[in-house]
Amino acid sequence: MTAPDSSTSPAAGGAPEAGGGALEAAGRPAPLIEVRGLRYRYPGAGTEALAGLHLVVSAGEFVAVVGANGSGKSTLARLLGGLEKPASAARAVACGHDLLDDEGRMAARRDVGVLFQNPENQLVAECVEDDVAFGLENLGWTPQAMRVRVDAMLARFGLAELRRREPHLLSGGQKQRAALAGVLAIPRRVLVLDEPTAMLDPAGRAEVLQAALELRAEGLAIVYVTQEMDEVVAADRAIALEAGAVVYEGGVPGLFRDGSLVRRLGLGLPAAGELALELAARGWSISPLPLTTGDLLAALGEKR
Amino acid sequence: MSAVEPETRAHGSAPVHGMSLACRDVGFSYQEAQTPIAALREVSFELAAGRSLALLGASGSGKSTLLQVVRGLDLPETGEVLLDGAVAGAAGYDGLQKQVGLVFQTPELQLFASSAREDVAFGPSRLGWSEDEVAAAVDEALDLVDLPPDRFGERHPYALSGGEQRRLALAGVLAMRPRLLLLDEPFVSLDPATRRELARILARLRAAGVTLVLATHDVDLAWALCDELLLLDHGRVAAGGAWDLGDAGRDLLAASRLREPFLVELWRRLGRDPREAPRTYAEAAEALA
Amino acid sequence: MRTTIAQYYPGDSPIHRLDARAKFVAVTALAVALFVRDSFAGLAVFAVAGAVAYVLSGVPAAWFWRAFRPLLWLVGLTFLAQILFAPAEDAFASWWIFHVSWQGLSFAAFLSLRLLVLVLIGSVLTLTTQPLALTDGLAWLGRPLRRLRVPTDELALMVTIALRFIPTLLVEVDQIMRAQRARGADFGSGGPVKRARALVPVLTPLFVLSFRRADELALAMEARCYRPGIVRTRLHPLKAGVADAVLLSVTAAVIAAGLLI
Repeated sequence: MTAPDSSTSPAAGGAPEAGGGALEAAGRPAPLIEVRGLRYRYPGAGTEALAGLHLVVSAGEFVAVVGANGSGKSTLARLLGGLEKPASAARAVACGHDLLDDEGRMAARRDVGVLFQNPENQLVAECVEDDVAFGLENLGWTPQAMRVRVDAMLARFGLAELRRREPHLLSGGQKQRAALAGVLAIPRRVLVLDEPTAMLDPAGRAEVLQAALELRAEGLAIVYVTQEMDEVVAADRAIALEAGAVVYEGGVPGLFRDGSLVRRLGLGLPAAGELALELAARGWSISPLPLTTGDLLAALGEKR
Repeated sequence: MSAVEPETRAHGSAPVHGMSLACRDVGFSYQEAQTPIAALREVSFELAAGRSLALLGASGSGKSTLLQVVRGLDLPETGEVLLDGAVAGAAGYDGLQKQVGLVFQTPELQLFASSAREDVAFGPSRLGWSEDEVAAAVDEALDLVDLPPDRFGERHPYALSGGEQRRLALAGVLAMRPRLLLLDEPFVSLDPATRRELARILARLRAAGVTLVLATHDVDLAWALCDELLLLDHGRVAAGGAWDLGDAGRDLLAASRLREPFLVELWRRLGRDPREAPRTYAEAAEALA
Repeated sequence: MRTTIAQYYPGDSPIHRLDARAKFVAVTALAVALFVRDSFAGLAVFAVAGAVAYVLSGVPAAWFWRAFRPLLWLVGLTFLAQILFAPAEDAFASWWIFHVSWQGLSFAAFLSLRLLVLVLIGSVLTLTTQPLALTDGLAWLGRPLRRLRVPTDELALMVTIALRFIPTLLVEVDQIMRAQRARGADFGSGGPVKRARALVPVLTPLFVLSFRRADELALAMEARCYRPGIVRTRLHPLKAGVADAVLLSVTAAVIAAGLLI
């Protein structure tokens, strides 16, 4: 399940369309997210936050979104969740709902879940259980149905014993798990995560990433905005944003192999990649660029 | 593009005589929901002047509490903190405490003034220095964190980016010219470029002679920046002193849900002695080539 | 650091299980009735009712005491006022402008006891009712106000959110104060003006933090399909039952007794 391993010019409006047809021809499921020429400008801003962005994501895909601060990553996350109105788009459809239309955006908020960076500012209720139920209460679920769903979510994310705990008594990782349980309590088809692990310790980060991978395996489409390069490695596909447009779309290895792009966008490399670059500076040539310790060891093994 | 390069030239600051730090059987507890929580128990360690210490441990292990006790914001219930060998109550101790800088988690929370200079001046202006000394210290600190005063001095703190705010908050502490610098998770929530920049700033400080205590869960940056480590587990010292890079050390880190540094793991898996693992990618590349 | 303004004590007593709306109406009615007459006998009726509720609630005395403690100064003030302002004629002991009379002392005692009974009854409500249930109950009771365009449900949600964030804010205030103290700030010394100015480095960041929080929280709520004006169901719906009818009848009886005895 790999997309073409090369940069895609955002101006080539034809390519994504052909891509869509090609996807279906290849027997892949129809896309859950289909966005073309997406534009957005913050009120009073001089430049566009999103300047004609293209993105297609299908069920069961894990797409990492990277880019410098201000490149439009968070704006994209909000637009995909139907939380902001695009300025314009040739096409902006999420789970079959038109994001250009008010009703379409409201409907998109049901099918597209969004998990944000700060766990503290996502928990609304006075205990975990009530917070997980918040979304379902907004949708008018019956108490009986909510009880079943909430219990299932608490069990899935290891929160059953914390169900009546108050948010300020939870650790950062627990808070983010509670927030995730609350987002997913509403049955979703797409999950967008906006730098969900930035404020967490390694244990908390692993939990969130693990949950995202499990959800991908269950058929959700995952859009994962991150600055942690170790997490990007887990993705099927990566897109890189610069000034509101896609400047790279393709496999993860291709992204890191483009040294000038990595430098320009201020991306880091996974540790193995950094070391490989240092070796390259000393005359070694390690190709393809290793992204994990295992890759690096294999490459070094061959050199001996 | 390598990890942290220790800089031999101190950037914009004169060499500093770092402070030595020691804790002897330090204990501290607080109340939460009517139950006493023992945050620190019999914590003892020594850090010589100019050395750097990585303070590691899972969330809730007591790292933040220890830093605040060392700074003097909380008094230890048992045991004592020694700054340059002096104990609380000894002559000159208060003066020594003022030379201990503490950078809190998400220090951007402390920014409140209407210009960068004004915010950075908050600390030094309370040290009894003359106005000229304060102004010089402010500009020096802004230079140190790569926020040149002529470009950033009059900017409003809230108009800066997240990474710039983090560096500005650090400048606010550096302007007090600390000889012992304590940092509580300074790399959290930063983009990779700012993280690298911050690591470079800390390396400069270290090269200038400042004693550093770095509480972090970024094991690789701790490995690159710190001579020694102190691993806390539920308020007790699980390991301290030189990095233990054998299996026992790795298991102790794992028990706190931390992995061992990438270069150490690599050396181990290459069949080399992990105790000889280099601190930076450049050194590693040299060793492998 | 853990503080809860609403002081809820988890439990499963008959009082805990009563509907929040019934409890609120009962407590409000009793509170008003308390002030209708100045009679020790009537007060005794209400005191007994309060004591029975306390026993039935199963909440430890220490929790009630924590509600009383801040009011001891008010009790002291009441006695002092009586001693200062009692008419000089009935005094059995006098010194300068202070006159102590049986009448004054008895009135001071009555006022203090009434205050304590009021707090007792009010505490039974707050100790046995979860804040969310109470706000839901108030929102339901206030529903008629919706016809006057008062957004009762939204107000109830606002109160819930505010309560949820109070402990968080307290931790953050503490954190900011410590960070500024580490920079040499002094919050303890100086006159009122100096102390007020010393709080600027704490209040400014707190405001900024709160505004950002409001933005992010609103977005997170919208992402979970919240919109003002929607009809929301509840995981823990309010359910009135026979016990609540009994509570209201008993309350009416108590009030009658208290006003007539």
